Amino acid sequence: MTKPSSPQGLEPLDAVDAKILPATPRSIRTGLRLNIRGRSVQLRGLRRSPTGLLRWLAILGPGLIATSAGNDAGGIATYSQAGAKFGYDLIWVMVILTLSFAVVQEMCARLGAATGRGLLDLIRERYGIAWALFAVSVVLIANGGVTISEFVGIGAAMELMGVSKYIAIPLGALLIWYLVIFGTYGRVEKILLLMTLVFFAYPVAAFMARPDWSAVAKGAFVPKFRSDPAYIFLIVGLLGTTITPYIQIFQQSSLVEKGVARRHYGPERIDAYVGAIFSNLMSISMIIATAATLYVVGQRNISSAADAARALEPVVGSAAKMLFGIGLLGATLLAGAVLPLATAYAVSEAFGVPKGVNLDFRRGKVFFSLFTALIVLGATLALIPNVPVMTLFVGVQVLNGILLPIILIFILLLINDKRLTGDLKNTRRNNVLGVGTLILITTAVLTMVGSRLLEMFGVQLGQ
Amino acid sequence: MVMLSQLRRFDLIDDQGRRARLRDLSVALLDGDYPPVTRLYFLNSKKKKNSLPWENVTSIDWPNRLIQVVDIDEAQGESTDSMAKEVLLHDGILDSLILDLQNRRATRANDLCLEEEDGKLLLRSADTSFGALLRRLTGGRYGRVSPAAHHDWKYVEFLRGDPEAVRSEAGQHLRISRLPPGEIARLTDPLPYLHAAELITLLADPKAADTLEAMMPERQLQVFEELEEEQALRLLALMAPDIATDLVGRLQTRTMRRYLEKIPRKQAERIIELLRYPEDTVGGIMTNDVVYARGSLTVAEARKKLRGPLQDPDFVFLIYIVANEKSRRLQGLISIRNLITADDDERLEEIMDPYVTTLNPLAPAGEAAYRVIDSHLAALPVVDDEGQLLGVVTVDAAVAQVAPPSWSAQAPRVFS
Repeated sequence: MTKPSSPQGLEPLDAVDAKILPATPRSIRTGLRLNIRGRSVQLRGLRRSPTGLLRWLAILGPGLIATSAGNDAGGIATYSQAGAKFGYDLIWVMVILTLSFAVVQEMCARLGAATGRGLLDLIRERYGIAWALFAVSVVLIANGGVTISEFVGIGAAMELMGVSKYIAIPLGALLIWYLVIFGTYGRVEKILLLMTLVFFAYPVAAFMARPDWSAVAKGAFVPKFRSDPAYIFLIVGLLGTTITPYIQIFQQSSLVEKGVARRHYGPERIDAYVGAIFSNLMSISMIIATAATLYVVGQRNISSAADAARALEPVVGSAAKMLFGIGLLGATLLAGAVLPLATAYAVSEAFGVPKGVNLDFRRGKVFFSLFTALIVLGATLALIPNVPVMTLFVGVQVLNGILLPIILIFILLLINDKRLTGDLKNTRRNNVLGVGTLILITTAVLTMVGSRLLEMFGVQLGQ
Repeated sequence: MVMLSQLRRFDLIDDQGRRARLRDLSVALLDGDYPPVTRLYFLNSKKKKNSLPWENVTSIDWPNRLIQVVDIDEAQGESTDSMAKEVLLHDGILDSLILDLQNRRATRANDLCLEEEDGKLLLRSADTSFGALLRRLTGGRYGRVSPAAHHDWKYVEFLRGDPEAVRSEAGQHLRISRLPPGEIARLTDPLPYLHAAELITLLADPKAADTLEAMMPERQLQVFEELEEEQALRLLALMAPDIATDLVGRLQTRTMRRYLEKIPRKQAERIIELLRYPEDTVGGIMTNDVVYARGSLTVAEARKKLRGPLQDPDFVFLIYIVANEKSRRLQGLISIRNLITADDDERLEEIMDPYVTTLNPLAPAGEAAYRVIDSHLAALPVVDDEGQLLGVVTVDAAVAQVAPPSWSAQAPRVFS
């Protein structure tokens, strides 16, 4: 503090004649000049959110972060597998999914702003306890599956760096549990986010691998259907990893937590769209990078994280494994913490029991038990020896894809309930796109299940 | 005593022996500590939702699960006009958020307990146990009724999450209003903002203003914007100017100007004055609703003269002595204790403390806040370079500046 030039408080106020202004006045922003009640005043104390370029940075910032966090172990595995197995052929799925994803994310954001409530809460309140329990089970299965894959991812990442997964996974689980329960997670989160920035090497790799751009364009805009069960399986995997139930719950709850009111929802719409488009561009670049490095040289199956890491070789050469390991570790630790936390949070909310990491165990029994159980279960199952890592990753995403229509139906029903959403009710165009997405996903899931069944009964489909 | 989940398996039966399955019941929510059932809802033979007033019930045959009514055909279709005061038990309260005032937390009603008394069926308590869920899922076969898990409805507040629906009920006697405003605000933290807005709509204005003040800034804005303009203006006039300024400064410019044009002149001027200072300066955290008096007054005169000015402000512990009311040049201060204990004919300037540490309105807020806290006084005055009294930084404002607004605000964010 600048020293006042007068003997402050040592002399009676009347004797102090010197100015008590700070010696060097600080520069002050101009504020806004307004005419109020016949008086023209310069208002510098307005609490304004940033506008212009700053606002765009504020929107893109979290979007970028969410993207790198959202592309977790299962996501990277599925996109890599799609690129390695079928080259550019599956990009069209991602192009269609971008539209669907954006529409679904926007609906969830709108539902959050219009009601101020999370998805599971709304299901409980509108459809009663039986449906709520059903939805909770779906969420627990889907998120539990993803949690397992995150811990498998932690193991795979550490193995790339030469640490056995039997040490890495228990340590990782313990670390996550400790950080979240003892409240230091917020600080560590930033480091983890920084680690995931490694994955921005993918778009660079996609360019540096010099893919055949005409083939990429063809793959993106000319849908190609194959009766190969693996092809259909991967389509469902792509659906499940892009439009995940937990991302929807997340999107809605984050709007609620941010405190977006229904009156101010308008601009948030853009955030949802930007986030979705950005996230899918990233995914597409993963497919292209893998296709251009592995598919073209004839390596058609990715069976380990080391294989997937090779897609980064055009950028970083021999450091690819290490770099991929760092990114994967960051992403999986991040998701391994956030996923059980968010699941425990949403479920506690639906049951009306106290929630939040600032409670002690006695007051938040259900919340803490659920959180701990998810971590213990995820880590234990991830320790099973000789798990085919990549198959498990993709399998979990397929499971997500199968459960997705259930959650989507709830979202569509709720967003069309005028009593809940009022003016923010779905428009007809939104409904067409939403129901279209639902039909698309359901068809894909049914086709996959059908082809698996046929396969089981020994019917061979023409290749 | 009967649980709602059991009651929903009762049948209505009339004199001619016509039957219908009871679907739902409505209660007059604001009618006493234990709201009475007002209507019975059921599906008629054409599968349409009908209702009968409670007066049509002649008797209840508990063992056979039958409710004897006069005439089922007298029933009316669903009416919406009465629903402002009435709430459905199954579709409205069950599974919704309720505030458990005894334990000071928000929870969900897993089942509801009713009791017959003087020919009326009263809503007695809410069951929040997991046993109640089991009971509902298994059709009553499992899940014992354990009265220990019941929350006496007298200490339960139910909000439907629709501020518009309750506008006509504003100023209603709510149980929650017995709590201090800060506790009410904390209780509403886990609620959706529409529920919080409904609560503010229902509270009497002074309590509502104090509660709004105690809410976290983001929540404050969300709730404020859901209020009807008339109430919003009334609350703005009642709020402490420094908190009102933070709120008004977050509104859209057009709305801000409209509100400032419409609230009482004195409060508007205080807010406009405070809006001139950036948030992170002393001016940004001070309040300018302070009590001051001319030094030449005698104690007796001052007591009489200050009776009015001491009514409204939040901060009244220190009275600032100025040379004259117009220039407001600060000379010293007296405490309210001095004013009460001093002799009638002493002059204020004789008993005042002329050694005063002051703050500059443009100094950084953080450092000034520590000075206020370290001074161990209730507040330090803010004075411009002409020596004019502009306001004070209270110890509350100082603590709020250096500490998070509430311990619950320290909770890490999960989703964003």
